[in-house]
Amino acid sequence: MKSKMTNRDKTFWAVIIPVLILFFAFNTLPMIKGMIYSFTNYRGYGSYDYVGLRNYMDLFSDARVGKSYLFTFKYALAGTVLVNVLSLVMALGLNSCIRFKSALRGIYFVPNILGGLVIGYIFSFIFTYILPAVGMAWDIGWMKNSFLASEKYAWIGVLVVGVWQAVAMNTIIYISGLQTVPQEVYEASMLDGASKWKEFWSVTFPLVIPFVTINLVLSTKNLLMVFDQIMSLTKGGPAQSTESISYLIYRNGMDGGQFGFQSANAVIFFFVIVAISIFQMTIMNKKEEQL
Amino acid sequence: MMEKTQKTNWVLTIVLVLGTVTVFFPLYMAFVIAFKQPSEMTNDVAGALALPAHFSLENFRQAMEVTDFWHSLGNSLLITLVTIALSILIHSIAGYVIGRSMAAKKSFRLIYLYIVSGMFVPFSILMMPLVKQTAQMGLGNRAGVILLYLVFYMPMNVLLYTGYLKNIPVALEEAADIDGASTWKTYWTIVFPMMKPMHATVAILTALGTWNDVMTPLVIMSGTGQNTLPLAQLNFQTQFGTNYNLAFSSYILALIPILLFYIICQKQILNGVANGAVKG
Amino acid sequence: MSKRKIARRWTAMVFMAVGITGLAGCAGSETEGKVEVELVSYKPEAVEAFEKIQDRFNETHQDIHLTIDSPNEAMTILKTRFIREDYPQIVGIGGDINYSNFLDADLFLDISDLEEVTSVKQSYQDMSKELEFVPREGVYCLPYAANAAGILYNKDLFEKQGWEVPETWNDFVSLCKEIEAEGMLPLYFGYKDTWTCLAPWNALAVGLSDSDTCNEVNLGNTTFSEEYREVADKMRELLSFGEPNPYAYSYNDACTAFARGESAMYPIGSYAIPQILSVNPDLNIGSFPFPANENEADNVLNSGIDLQFCVMKDCENKEAVYEVLRFLYEDETIQVYLDNQGGIACKEGDFDIPGELLDMKNYIEGDRMADFQDHHYPSEMSVDAMIQTFLLNESDNAADIFLAQFDSDWKRYNRDLIRKVQQYQKEREDGK
Repeated sequence: MKSKMTNRDKTFWAVIIPVLILFFAFNTLPMIKGMIYSFTNYRGYGSYDYVGLRNYMDLFSDARVGKSYLFTFKYALAGTVLVNVLSLVMALGLNSCIRFKSALRGIYFVPNILGGLVIGYIFSFIFTYILPAVGMAWDIGWMKNSFLASEKYAWIGVLVVGVWQAVAMNTIIYISGLQTVPQEVYEASMLDGASKWKEFWSVTFPLVIPFVTINLVLSTKNLLMVFDQIMSLTKGGPAQSTESISYLIYRNGMDGGQFGFQSANAVIFFFVIVAISIFQMTIMNKKEEQL
Repeated sequence: MMEKTQKTNWVLTIVLVLGTVTVFFPLYMAFVIAFKQPSEMTNDVAGALALPAHFSLENFRQAMEVTDFWHSLGNSLLITLVTIALSILIHSIAGYVIGRSMAAKKSFRLIYLYIVSGMFVPFSILMMPLVKQTAQMGLGNRAGVILLYLVFYMPMNVLLYTGYLKNIPVALEEAADIDGASTWKTYWTIVFPMMKPMHATVAILTALGTWNDVMTPLVIMSGTGQNTLPLAQLNFQTQFGTNYNLAFSSYILALIPILLFYIICQKQILNGVANGAVKG
Repeated sequence: MSKRKIARRWTAMVFMAVGITGLAGCAGSETEGKVEVELVSYKPEAVEAFEKIQDRFNETHQDIHLTIDSPNEAMTILKTRFIREDYPQIVGIGGDINYSNFLDADLFLDISDLEEVTSVKQSYQDMSKELEFVPREGVYCLPYAANAAGILYNKDLFEKQGWEVPETWNDFVSLCKEIEAEGMLPLYFGYKDTWTCLAPWNALAVGLSDSDTCNEVNLGNTTFSEEYREVADKMRELLSFGEPNPYAYSYNDACTAFARGESAMYPIGSYAIPQILSVNPDLNIGSFPFPANENEADNVLNSGIDLQFCVMKDCENKEAVYEVLRFLYEDETIQVYLDNQGGIACKEGDFDIPGELLDMKNYIEGDRMADFQDHHYPSEMSVDAMIQTFLLNESDNAADIFLAQFDSDWKRYNRDLIRKVQQYQKEREDGK
């Protein structure tokens, strides 16, 4: 650095250092401790031995882990697209000139606050009884059997519920993003006679790009870490076709005796998500700069 | 600024109103179950959608008794509100510091990535070490849970605040700097109020995460004799049986405070604009 | 917002945070002059019985104060307490793989000098011995109450139709066909919650396979492909008598369906009865042991230790803890528990057998019982999900695939254990 620290810099460091210490103490430090367990056969209690890289080697030969990665990525990819498109559309709708605005915003928020037990019971009932009943009545083949009982389609059932819940949160972020788009910009473009579609792509979208980045990162992360929906809808079934990575880490690491092995799984998973997110942020940053 | 009364978009209104069926239908089922007796539970569609035989608040009364409602609610409120308040204060300034420096300084860019990547650590790997660590530090209590939430939600909130700052011009701050105001003062008097819509958003998202959370209080606070609502709601489930009727009434009760909170925050998101705080 | 206002807010926050810490600090009060004994039980559903027992104990004991906790998610709480090294003196857990693991982690105290351990029924003594990965000197648990699993049946329906409780596999199959011929559903499974697949599996396996099968496999004396072939075949045969597509229906759906009379029988343990009765309080439910064999004499009742007490190794005041265990094991105390929770006493003696288990009386009194096989399965292997996968696979060699996987997965998940067991065996042989 050329010059002495300015006052502004000093204040900045004075703020950020305590924050970093706090973050290190309760996030990074326990993570490092957890990583150490990934080299052991620790069960979560009692004595344990160091087993070197065995857990990591096993990880790559474990068919169940491989399957959970496939499921999770399929789920997250489809989910991210659906969640972001739907929530942006919802946000635009809820932010435009409509009646009952507050009430509608309130209603669409509800899915995100329903507890797992409620979600599990209601949606299981819908998939198990209501949809097949509708399928029978109208003779729609694919609806006659419960989605959740089919190895092939259970993930779609979980996805529907996951998206239904996630849209609320991402809509909120998009709505607050839309608040930063000055009204004048709209008005100006209206004078130009720009069509709604063009207005969105040329005026609104570039301005909310930072929020697209946030939402992409957050929704990808939430969907990759899918857990609650699996717990309440399928418990990983049928035939282990909906075991997500987080589900496996929790179930076998906490409930089962595989704490060490699943810690290794968690470490790898962590690096995978970080890589994905950094990739997303870099791409989006370039986009932001272009516009 | 000229206030222009825009025409209501009725087509859109109708589409959005129709869309609420996707929310109301499951919600209707939940309400019906909350009022029914266990003996009214059935597997046939017509029976499940039928209204309960009697409407009485007995289930709600019992649910409140089982969960020690007011006490658990108090704990949940305390934890959630303190977490939100501290998040808004600490995470916003952290987000500001990082957001404003990140473009020019590599060190802050790294700090940004470091904090944001903390979001991706699976809780399962943190849990055991945190249980031990909080116990050793005497934080196996509500304060510990709040502190952990502050750390857990820091990545998301920093991400949100820095993102929001990108759309807030630096001109105002620079003007204040020239007037000789300290950075600290500029932040609290100019930037902080300008981020009001984001504060409301952060408040909602943080509240969402903490209000229904079972795991953190379960592993950190167990044995203190203090319950949050989600912990108390575990009472309805045992290994081989679940009282869905009481559970659902309890969940509906727990839904009300956060829904109200959300509606209040929504107003703030909009007011931020009405005040003309954010203008290009 | 003014700076002052902000400063005020900050101060308020800090005070709030301090206040919380202060509040939490005063939990857990000492009872003067008394020895505190804390018991943590994993059965929150038995909280009423435990409160009664706790009060009775404290009324009759001047120098010891007993606290019984039955928290929700007790296993998670216990594990986190172990991490914090905040041990209760006594834990009440099930006789399952968790016990084996805790014992293997050397958490429990040898209580063989407690007289009460000799009054435990022989089959439960054997069961708890078999739960030890590597046979140990001493006794580490006091089995308290057991459950029984077989097939629940709709008693009134059976009476009305003149159906008899089947005693052999052939009887059972023909009964199912008869029920079907009447246009009714013989069985309801509810295989959506994978764990429910284990209910008929366990009940069949006790009759068709030895109780120490898992240990024999660990020693390399046999394989699951050999031991479980018949169990797997019969599991598949059962499918045709249940609801179509059982993977769509959960445990709760199955309980409701059985309660509503949609099926005549339900292959699940007696633990499901309260949930069934909550839907239909008037249902008259009976339960018989799974007739897995052609010969009635070969059948064994599937019964496991549902609750047992273990003393933590580092516990102080062993005398006070023993006093608590003695009190818990008095006939009257056991009866208090059984009256509230149902089930079978693990202690020798004359205890009431609950009405719904009367059809199992001969087995219980004749001590013809064996433990749930899944009490020996590591939970992370998810045998329940493997069974579900097997049943979903309709190809001809499904059983071969399943059993081969059972053997190979078993070796993988029990790698450390198998090494330990074989080493123990070798040492013993060398010692001879």
